[in-house]
Order: sequence, then structure tokens, then C-alpha cells
Amino acid sequence: MNEMQFLTWVRGTGLNIALGIFLLGVIWRLIEIYGLGRKKDLSAPRNVSGASGWNTMFRRSVPPEGMLKKSPVSYIGGYIFHLGLFVVLFLFAPHIKFFESLLGISWPGLPSQFIDLVAVVTIAAMVVVLVDRINKPVKRYLSTFEDWFTWLVTFLPVLTGWMAVQHLLLPYTTMLALHILSVEILLIVLPFTKLFHAFTLWGSRWYNGQVNGHKGVAV
Amino acid sequence: MQGPLIDTLARQGVTRRTFFKYCATLASLMALPPSAGRAMAEAMAASPAAVKRPSVIWLPFQECTGCTESITRSHSPTIEGLIFDAISLDYQETLMAAAGHQAEEALHKAMKDNEGKYLLIVDGSIPLGLDGAYSCIAGKSNLETLKEVAKGAAAIVAMGSCAAFGGIPKANPNPTGAVSVSDVIKDKPIINIPGCPPIPVVMTGVLAHFLTFGSLPEMDSKGRPKAFYGETIHDRCYRRPFYDQGKFAKTFDDEGARKGWCLFELGCKGPVTYNACATVKWNGGTSWPVESGHGCLGCSEPDFWDAGGFYKALSMPADPLKMVSAAAAVGAAAGVAVSFANRAKKSAAKAGHETTTLADLEK
Amino acid sequence: MPLENIPIVTVSAGAAVGPAPLDGLSGNAPVLLREIAEHVNRLLATGESSAIDLNALPLTPADLDWLQETLGTGEIAITLESDGDSTLNETACPGVWWVTHHNEHGAVVSRFLEVAFVPELVKAHPEDIKIGLEHLDLLISGLS
Repeated sequence: MNEMQFLTWVRGTGLNIALGIFLLGVIWRLIEIYGLGRKKDLSAPRNVSGASGWNTMFRRSVPPEGMLKKSPVSYIGGYIFHLGLFVVLFLFAPHIKFFESLLGISWPGLPSQFIDLVAVVTIAAMVVVLVDRINKPVKRYLSTFEDWFTWLVTFLPVLTGWMAVQHLLLPYTTMLALHILSVEILLIVLPFTKLFHAFTLWGSRWYNGQVNGHKGVAV
Repeated sequence: MQGPLIDTLARQGVTRRTFFKYCATLASLMALPPSAGRAMAEAMAASPAAVKRPSVIWLPFQECTGCTESITRSHSPTIEGLIFDAISLDYQETLMAAAGHQAEEALHKAMKDNEGKYLLIVDGSIPLGLDGAYSCIAGKSNLETLKEVAKGAAAIVAMGSCAAFGGIPKANPNPTGAVSVSDVIKDKPIINIPGCPPIPVVMTGVLAHFLTFGSLPEMDSKGRPKAFYGETIHDRCYRRPFYDQGKFAKTFDDEGARKGWCLFELGCKGPVTYNACATVKWNGGTSWPVESGHGCLGCSEPDFWDAGGFYKALSMPADPLKMVSAAAAVGAAAGVAVSFANRAKKSAAKAGHETTTLADLEK
Repeated sequence: MPLENIPIVTVSAGAAVGPAPLDGLSGNAPVLLREIAEHVNRLLATGESSAIDLNALPLTPADLDWLQETLGTGEIAITLESDGDSTLNETACPGVWWVTHHNEHGAVVSRFLEVAFVPELVKAHPEDIKIGLEHLDLLISGLS
């Protein structure tokens, strides 16, 4: 297989399989999670100001008092790379074209030099977060295979995409194909690992806040 | 043709200075130092004794003659064409006067007289299906002919995408079992000059290099001369700044198209196509596909015909996503099934729940 | 120069199309002046002429304009009419020639800075002179 065939495969069959598994996994898990149900809460609701689902969604998005100083890398690095991923994924013109072909909607993109800069910052932030995870004994102790693995499958699409644009290491065609392949691996892995937080994050925050609000606790 | 090349050129009304000027430009295009242009000119203009002008045999296989047209008709009379005239082109079905047995005789004579020294140019792919019966010349399959003629060649030039990579005959479902020259011949230096058709000056550049230095120019991993195929169309494209600014033509007649914005979204394959169109251009430097408002088809890349459609942006899926809706249905079914299983488990747990009584505690 | 001594390297000119600053100057042109000076020194010392391929260097159109303006215009401007015009113009620095080749449509096909007493292309080739002499002889024989 030459690189053009490789590229065509990842754009065709590979994408077909990956998107299929992704969708299958996402729908399966969402239905399963929301179908679980909860026990009836028999206690009378207690109304405390600041204790509600919406409050928690917001509150948990900012670091608790003192934590920013205690664990700056987790918060700042984490924020930077999540925002970076968002910008690179949704505001790079070729990506928008991809979403348009899938969803039929499009939106304006940003200049590629800016995307390039964001990609570099994202890569740097992800590396810093990883180094922090390796260096801090507690974090290292808490880390399982899944943590390392999900870091890698998130990191590779950004790295290969940036390298393709910059023409590093391999010819653009091959790098582009590797980029798309790495995204496909991410798509396949996402529904079945902790990366599923992309779908459950806001829902679970709201739920936790709402349930605890019912009990009169602002979490 | 007899005598030094420069005399031949002079007969066609090309002066020495014109030829030197051409060589200087050719060297510049091939990224050779200016002194190489002079060396090239002197080597090629010199008498036949000083430079061995090799016999050239041109074999056409499964091809459309577009490559020959490109070289001979670029804009006449070209020096490119004249260099072709001036070398000893001993066999070229389209251009030669002889036909039938005479032509075959010329071929075999050239092979015998110049054994081990002639340059073999191939255009067209080689069919392997039905024992090669899809394309035969003089009762022999192309495969047989290629093997026979390649044996005594100093080097082989695979001219055009068909000879270099299989091209359109190899396009899915490849009914004739077409393959490239390098799929068949493994023991000779082969240079690929892909394109549908290739740029004339690339062809003559390689030829001039071979005539001057006696070797093929530096090649990339796909056997293409690096000087011409070193960079992608996209990287050398004059519309590149628009790509970087995120300005794209959305249709062939919108505002963006009129303003000359990037054609990426209209399916331009420039980013993955290595060729010199953006710098050398076509028809004597008049224009080239992107300049005329159409995206690059990627014609100098392997399997460009099957690369997911000419008008689909590179970042779009190459095929319709057939599996997706089925997968979604399976996912939904699995989710519902697991939900029911979970509920059943929960009910079972509830049913199996024993109430602790005071009596139990006092035991 | 023997053929085998000519280095054949692939030069990536990709940098040439990168985003240029607003005024279009890449900063690559001024350093060329030193290289030209070196070539001129060699010409004076050994009589060896040389050339710089301007198309092979990452120069923007603005760089070329700057260079041409800086080098100035000399006393001699030669136009060669063959397969499109070629202009071989002396710059304000004698011995440095600005050579531009056009094709028959007038488009620039290559640009060189040649450092020589007289550009190579201008000199008549002995073989051509011989042909000219034959023609002269023919003219003379026509007189009698």
C-alpha cells in the first residue's frame, strides 16, 4: 500500500469503521447511563441558596479555594489543553469542512497561523501535564494504564496534525494519513474509556449538584 | 541525425545563445548551480565524439499518447522538442515514419547496436491480466517486450503516471491487471516522471541531466527527480496565502472564486501532490490548473483516480459512511438491552433484599 | 570546471513563499551584497567569472526590487533577442550584471547576477565566428 492508498483508506473504510464504532459506543453508553434510574428520594427537599445543578456546573469549573496554588499544573495546564483542543478541533478550516460534510452545518474558521500557534501551546500543555503526572508521586500512584493510554490517544492527533502542517519527519501525505488514523483510534477508544467525560461531564455535574441541592448541600 | 546537437538546433533556427539561455534556465529549474547550466550547454552542444548521445527507445504500452503530445506539442517549435529530435530516437511509434516490420527492425537494430547504453522511455502501464493479452505489439505482450528491451537499457524513464504508477488503466477495478514499470523491472535504474501528462521541461531536464552527467538526477522515495517533485503544489501555490488566512472559494462561481481564493474546499489535491506545476506552469509558462480556477487533481500521485473524488476536500470522507446509521442502531439496541438487564438485576437485588428484624439482632 | 565537481543538491525554495512581512522584505537581500563582493574580488584576483541564480534563493519580489535598486544602473544595457528577450544590464558596480531571461510571452523564466568582465552569453562563440567568416568570404567573393 502506498501513502495515497493509505490516505484514501483512512478517509474511506477506516473512517467508516471508526465513526461506526464511535457512534455505537456513544449511543450505547448514553442509553445505559440514563437508563439506570435512581431510587426515589423520599426526604423533603431543602432549599439552600447556591445548591443546585446549575450552580455546581459552574462551581466545579473553577478551582476551589487554595487548590490553584496547590496544584497549578493540573488546573492551568488542564484548562489550556482543553481549550486548545477545542480551538484546534472546531476552528481549523479543514476540520470545519469535515464537520460540514458529516452534519451539513459550517461556521467560520480562524487563520491557520493562529491555529498553528494554539496547537503548539496545546502540545506543550499536554506534555507539561504528563510530566507532572510522572513527577508527582501521588499522581503517579493513582495513575492506571487507562490514564497513560488516553493521554497518548489524545496527544497523537494533535501532534500528527501539527507535524503534517509543518511538514516534519514524513511527507505530508503520510503524515496526514497518520493524523486521520490517530483520530480514528481516538474515536474508537473514546466511548469506552474515561474520555467519555466529553459526553457525561456536564450531565453528571448537573446531576450531582441537583441531588445534593435537594439535600441542602452545595457541592 | 548527424553532427553536434548545436548544428541540428541551428538548422531549426535556434542560435547558440538561445540554447545557452535555455540551459541556464533549465539548470535553474533543476536547482543546479549556474555553472551547471554552462556545463550542460557545452556538453550537449559539443560534437558527438565528446559526448555520447545515447540511443533512445520509446515504448508505448497502455497509454493515450497524451505524454507524447505533451512533449511534442507543448508549443512548437520548442527546444524541448528539438532536444528530442536531436537525440537518436530510434523507436517511437507515434513519431517514427516506419511501421510494421520496419519499425520492429529499427527497434532490434537499436537494441543490438547500443546494448547496455540506450535509454528506455516507457509510457503507459503494463497489463498482466490474461497473460498480457490486453495490449500487444507485433504479436508480443507488453510484458514480454518490456522485459526484453529493458535487459539492455542503461536506465529506464517511466514517463507519465501510467508507466510510473499504473495510472488510469490501474484505476479500480483495474480490469487489465495494469502495473507500473517498477513493478516489473527490478534490476535497472528507473526514474519516474509522473503526471497526466508530465510537464515537458521535466522530461527534457531529466534527459539533459542524463546526457550531461551520464546519470539520472537525484530522486525521492518514489523514484521522482527531487528537483521537480521536491515540494507539493500547495506549498508553492500562489493561492497559499488565502489558505492560511482561511479564505476559501465555496463554489466555482462565488465571490471567493472570483477573488482567486484557495480551492481546498472544492477538492484541490495540491497539499498531497508533488509536482512543479505551480512554478514551471504549462503551455510555455502561460497558466496552470489552479491559476485557471480549478483545483489540482493530483495527477502525478499514485492512484489519483481512486483518491476519493476530485471535488471532495481532502479532509472530507472519501466514501459515503454506510456503516454509521447501522452502527447507531446497533448501539441503541445494545444500550436498551443492557438497560433492561440492569433493571432486571436491580429488581432481583430488591427482591432478594431481606428485612432485618429485631429478633435477628437479638440472636 | 569538470562535470563531476559540480555539486548537485536539491535546494528547498519553500521558504520563498512563506508569509512575508508587510513591506515584503525577507531580509535575505542585504546579505547577498557580501556574496557579490566576494565574487567580484575573485574576478579581480583570478579573472574567474561566476553567477548567482536569483530564482534559487528565497527572495521575495520586494527583495528583488530592493536589490536591483540598490545595485543601481550602469552604463551598458544589452538586449538579446532570442526566444523571448533577455536583458543583460550592467549595474552601478562594474563587473556585476543583472541578467533576466524572458520567454516569448514576456514572462521571466530565470534571473541571474553574473559577475564577469563581459557576460558569457554576450561573447561570440569561435564556432559561430567561423560561420560568420564563411559568410564574409561569401560576401567578398560576391564583390569580384
